[in-house]
Amino acid sequence: MSDHVDGPRSIGEPAGDVTDLFAFTSPENPQRTVLAACVFPSAGAQALFSNTINYAIAVRRVAVKGLGDAAKFEAANEEIRFTFRFEVLTRDPAGHVFQRGVCELPDGRQLALTVHDEQGAATPEGDFRAYAGLRSDPFYLAWIASELKKVPNLLEHDNVLCMVVEFDTRRVLDPARGSLFGAIAETVPVQLRGNIGHPVARIDWVGRPEQTNIRLNNGALLGSDDLRDLWNQQTPFAVPQTLQPLFLQRLVESLTDWDMRDGKADWIPEALAANANVFLDDFLLFDVTKPITDESHLEIEKSTLDGRGYRTGGGRTVDANVIDILLTWLVNRDREFLQGGATGATKPGLNVFPYFATPNTELQTVAESVELAAAPDAVWSLIGTFNIDWHPLVASVGLTGAGDGQLRTIRTRDGREIVERLEELDRARRFYRYTQLAGIAASQYSGTLEVKPKGSGCVAEWRVQFIANNQPDILVRTMVATLLKTGLATLKRRFAAAA
Amino acid sequence: MNAIVDLDIPAATDGEIAAINLASACRRAWARFAQDPRRSGVAEEILDKEQLSAQFLGDLDAFDRMDALARQFARVENSPRAALVQARVAGAVHRFGDAARHLARAAKLGAPREAIERQRLTIAQARGESLETVLDARRRIAAASGRLEDQVPLGAVLVDLGRFAEADAVYRQAFHAYRDISPFAPAWVSFQLGMLWGELVPEPDPDLAAFWYRRALGYLPTYVKARVHLAEIYASREQVGAALALLQPALSSSDPEVRWRLADMLLAQGRLDESRAQLDAARQGFDALLKKHLLAFADHAAEFYADSGNDLKRALRLACVNVANRPTRRSIRLAHAIAAQQASRGTESESTAVVFPGATR
Repeated sequence: MSDHVDGPRSIGEPAGDVTDLFAFTSPENPQRTVLAACVFPSAGAQALFSNTINYAIAVRRVAVKGLGDAAKFEAANEEIRFTFRFEVLTRDPAGHVFQRGVCELPDGRQLALTVHDEQGAATPEGDFRAYAGLRSDPFYLAWIASELKKVPNLLEHDNVLCMVVEFDTRRVLDPARGSLFGAIAETVPVQLRGNIGHPVARIDWVGRPEQTNIRLNNGALLGSDDLRDLWNQQTPFAVPQTLQPLFLQRLVESLTDWDMRDGKADWIPEALAANANVFLDDFLLFDVTKPITDESHLEIEKSTLDGRGYRTGGGRTVDANVIDILLTWLVNRDREFLQGGATGATKPGLNVFPYFATPNTELQTVAESVELAAAPDAVWSLIGTFNIDWHPLVASVGLTGAGDGQLRTIRTRDGREIVERLEELDRARRFYRYTQLAGIAASQYSGTLEVKPKGSGCVAEWRVQFIANNQPDILVRTMVATLLKTGLATLKRRFAAAA
Repeated sequence: MNAIVDLDIPAATDGEIAAINLASACRRAWARFAQDPRRSGVAEEILDKEQLSAQFLGDLDAFDRMDALARQFARVENSPRAALVQARVAGAVHRFGDAARHLARAAKLGAPREAIERQRLTIAQARGESLETVLDARRRIAAASGRLEDQVPLGAVLVDLGRFAEADAVYRQAFHAYRDISPFAPAWVSFQLGMLWGELVPEPDPDLAAFWYRRALGYLPTYVKARVHLAEIYASREQVGAALALLQPALSSSDPEVRWRLADMLLAQGRLDESRAQLDAARQGFDALLKKHLLAFADHAAEFYADSGNDLKRALRLACVNVANRPTRRSIRLAHAIAAQQASRGTESESTAVVFPGATR
């Protein structure tokens, strides 16, 4: 899960959980570099940044200090840092609630932001632009990693909070002094405690994807301690010498296990140890003088470990398939590309600022029920078949097949055609579940109809969930609610409502 | 909020932001559950978040949603996870017998022993059973993890055993050792300290209790229970205006205790019609909760009916239901108090016929 949900502490404060870090050349302007960090896995539509966290992206110049099994990337001490800070909520005179923040630039200037403002903010000189707000999660994971089993994207329809900063590459990074950089993103609590309690440690940090959830916390290493919180509390670019052997040992064990996931050993011990050493220095490598593409992620590390000079800018674009690139490298050392069950995230990135796709709409639920003064079986005998011809808005129904998988094609009185599929029918519990295949502009549309005993009568419950497709939620909700209410109202007339 | 936040408190995410993020993440987790109920960790995540909503936001409808979650999960999966979720939900609404059955099933299905033992411990503590054994286990767990989430139940069992000074020390230690920034956990400890000093020690210290309730609200302005308890302290000092100001923002919560206490304060101000309306709403709220979750709300409803709800017989019946389900010192004391109240009113002494199981615990 890239760096999503990577330890008990970040789970406790999802707004401090760094999910991903990106470094790429602006698709709008090749003279500019974009750095971005995302937080808050599976953020809901109203998600906000914490007001007590410094969200930072830091960049250091890096030098290649060895090739092959001696591969080594050494980061300089000088740091270029972008820090996002957010305030408590503000209410305007009309009562609208919003969150403001700032992006502190490396030269100390502050760029004021309003969270979720698509336009972001720019310095008067135009040398920096920044954005903060909810976007579609660009990360996708389409494997059950423990079994290397392909599945659909496990993060489909998820959103995250993104912070994006774009700047003039030459003026800010001065590539003439060296064009290779390492980036990290971190969430560090603002230290406001006064004399109460202890200072609060760093919550999370990220360099390359999956340092914590795949490389350090490998579920196949039975009985091993969860090192993720310990790792997350270390200072990026400066993991203490005393702890490095612990993390290195875990990386070696974990990478050895990953190598054997396909039953073949593709890594000799020396090369595997070198790979672990490179991953121990956890920063996202990118070279601003070379092309950074959707495929170039990890190329700098891989080429260096293979004993040759790198050819691309490495980095990580919004659409980079980082999981498959990583798993391929770990499992078979690029012998054969391991393509997971998805080839992209829910939405691809944008070619224009802020580069991350608009947020996904939320799953909507419409639930209606009616209490009836009738025996449950009497009500179920009417509505418990998948044939919905008892519904007053239904003009006709055609059934195809039988049992689970049966299709019903409904022609409504206003001329709409809706096709639905029976997924499960439990007569004993007077319950059925169905999905919609066509007819209403919504995806992931599923419904349940159930009759439950209540006192001397029963209650009929109808529940529908969906994601509206390309139209306002309220329109689809109204349509669905009308369908449900009208149906249940007719039951009330037939069976009389419970007193 | 400034009127009641007069303390230098440890840094945590602003309570309003945290509450919005909780609700937002909870909705998203439900959406993921709808996409695939079997997905690893999602049902458990929903349960965590719904419990937080009930505890800190006064959103008692969360119990209905938890029930629905357990039902839906069990419908698609007969697994150790589903059984553990069912047990947690049953435990949360104090259906301890059901919880024990689900745990037994979880064990048969191969659920991790530690997860089962943790839930059994929680149930034993809630029921006031073998408290010395529970204390030993709580000490071990708290020492091993050092986490606030494990220190608070340790403090709570010390309270149940009447070891109030030790409980106070454990709570304070938990508070000071907290190293995260979510406001829910320190708000919880603050509230526990408020309860300890306001209601549980033999000689309550309302000033100290108010201090801790204010601290809880400093973290989480939405903490309905803390508002109610602090309002009671203000009202007892005849600071009715301050008490009303605390309760009014909590009216949107589904906790009927808000309307009950508000009714009392309106009555004290002579606003009889408003008071009556609030009292009716409180009664309806308790009735609705009892209909759905009798065992979870029997104690609070008993307190209500013994007081402004003005139905001592019902109060005693509820208190006895509560004692039968969880024979703790507190529940027994409540039942005794109601029985004594009934006897002193000279009504038919149902009270004398009541047997309180486990009264010596």
